[in-house]
Amino acid sequence: MSKQIGDVILDLQNISLRFGGVKALTDISFNVREHEVRAIIGPNGAGKSSMLNVINGVYHPQDGKIFFRGEERKAMQPHMAAAQGIARTFQNIALFKGMSVLDNIMTGRNLQMKSNLLMQALWWGPARNEELKHRARVEEIIDFLEIQHIRKTPVGRLPYGLQKRVDLGRALAMEPKILLLDEPMAGMNVEEKQDMCRFILDVNDQFGTTIVLIEHDMGVVMDISDRVVVLDYGKKIGDGIPDEVRSSPEVIKAYLGAGH
Amino acid sequence: MIYRENGQFKTSYGADQQIFPIAQDRWAVLAIIAFAFIGVPLLADEYMFRAILIPFLILSLAALGVNLLVGYCGQITLGAGAFMAIGAYAAYNFLIRIDGMPLLGALILGGLTSAAMGILFGIPSLRVRGLYLAVATLAAQFFWDWAFLRIKWFTNDSSSGSVSVSNLDFFGWTIDAPAEKYLFCLGMLVVFGLLAKNMTRASIGRQWMAIRDMDVAAEVIGIRPMWAKLSAFAVSSFFVGVAGAMWGFVHLGSWEPAAFSVDRSFQLLFMVIIGGLGSIVGSFFGAAFIVILPIFLNQMLPALGGLFGVSISTAAVSHAELIIFGVLIVFFLIVEPHGLARLWATSKEKLRLWPFPH
Repeated sequence: MSKQIGDVILDLQNISLRFGGVKALTDISFNVREHEVRAIIGPNGAGKSSMLNVINGVYHPQDGKIFFRGEERKAMQPHMAAAQGIARTFQNIALFKGMSVLDNIMTGRNLQMKSNLLMQALWWGPARNEELKHRARVEEIIDFLEIQHIRKTPVGRLPYGLQKRVDLGRALAMEPKILLLDEPMAGMNVEEKQDMCRFILDVNDQFGTTIVLIEHDMGVVMDISDRVVVLDYGKKIGDGIPDEVRSSPEVIKAYLGAGH
Repeated sequence: MIYRENGQFKTSYGADQQIFPIAQDRWAVLAIIAFAFIGVPLLADEYMFRAILIPFLILSLAALGVNLLVGYCGQITLGAGAFMAIGAYAAYNFLIRIDGMPLLGALILGGLTSAAMGILFGIPSLRVRGLYLAVATLAAQFFWDWAFLRIKWFTNDSSSGSVSVSNLDFFGWTIDAPAEKYLFCLGMLVVFGLLAKNMTRASIGRQWMAIRDMDVAAEVIGIRPMWAKLSAFAVSSFFVGVAGAMWGFVHLGSWEPAAFSVDRSFQLLFMVIIGGLGSIVGSFFGAAFIVILPIFLNQMLPALGGLFGVSISTAAVSHAELIIFGVLIVFFLIVEPHGLARLWATSKEKLRLWPFPH
């Protein structure tokens, strides 16, 4: 691959997260480098989604430090993480069901829209220009994801595969530095998975977006990711390039049981 | 088939983001507004204005405000009547206590006072939702009912507790005759309708709908829930407050706190639910349904009875009116739980294709 993997952009050190007595994450450290595709894998309940929620500020870990672009983050709210350039998609599609595809993706531009409420109510010059400028940008994303034909359709009426694509589009509209993808290919057939892989690799390649990905399809993970971190019961049991991880005895044990 | 948008191609995003992208829709709406401004004043009589048209216009405005909050932002409220009252009494106090206060200034200041109170009573929405929020907003209703009844300052120490406004003067235009009141209300509704539509198609409207549909995802995408919810409360209360001031000033002329009781809150909420949550035109449908239908039934039933040679007593008419009204509400909610606006949208979509199935 031609892309250049850069310096560490996100560094997680000794993260522990508890819900009451339940330990979701225990002492996990790993880092993400600029422009790479970083996969997080692990059996069900390993803490993968919790990990993403920690990264974008939905959960606050009790212990550990998070450095984003060299600065330590404290008491981060999700919208602040968004403002810093962390976008994500959801495992169970969390689109805005009552809104059209276009409006859903336009919400991703929200942080860049500066005109005030009164201007918007009057649809006055600057507000209108801003709206049209961002519409043009959103149309580029719609073209990129090949969903032109459904731009005015309410997302509630779309099939699952397309909804996943809109979810990706909404995150892309934020022009994020890091894109967190929570099982982008769950429940898809082979063709849809191929399309989605293509989009993910294109995003990574064309826009240089760093991608952190949770996925269960090992074929996909091993193919597209640069480095993989493996979690099991909230603990890190493997970290490295796909080949290393695949041959690690601990990882095999977690996935296949002790007997193998 | 009534009309098609064949051959209307959009070459700019501006053209695509008009309020009515289809030319025939645009002309039809302009024709309706022109008819409302020119035709109706020539045709309607005084009873029409006083009993039907003016209440319909003002309650449409209030329903529009409630719809912005409940339909677009998903925050349920049972305090709309209280915010109408705040708008009315605030505008009244601005008008009588400040010399030379113009009518429009009083209405807008009334609306702004209501907006400020909306923000205050919207704060619970940051913690609670659904039925619990409904109960919290009900507190606003009871508090302000009590305040306007007991705190004499609000009613300018009038002994009867009722206040009145006369000599409505709109920049030199004395609003006196029913037709003039109608035109004033219509003008206000058109302006506010346009403002509401612009907000709902802009970034603020998308923020509200995002909070309504999936608040966690909205936050992750960079929407601040506090700003989105409280701005919805403020804008909604502003609309409702202006409507309340107009209800007092233009429709009633003199009023007591009972004019804005909890019944009014429920009525506005029903309008929005029956008309269509999250739809501008739905607010008008809902207001029309609730204001006009009972009067229509009241007039029509004796005539219908006369047709079959049965004379129906006045008491029977008023009972039948309530029964039929209730049945129709249930009927419409079963046929289309998303309200009359959705029924309208679906039939428009079907007519677009008719007579072909696809």
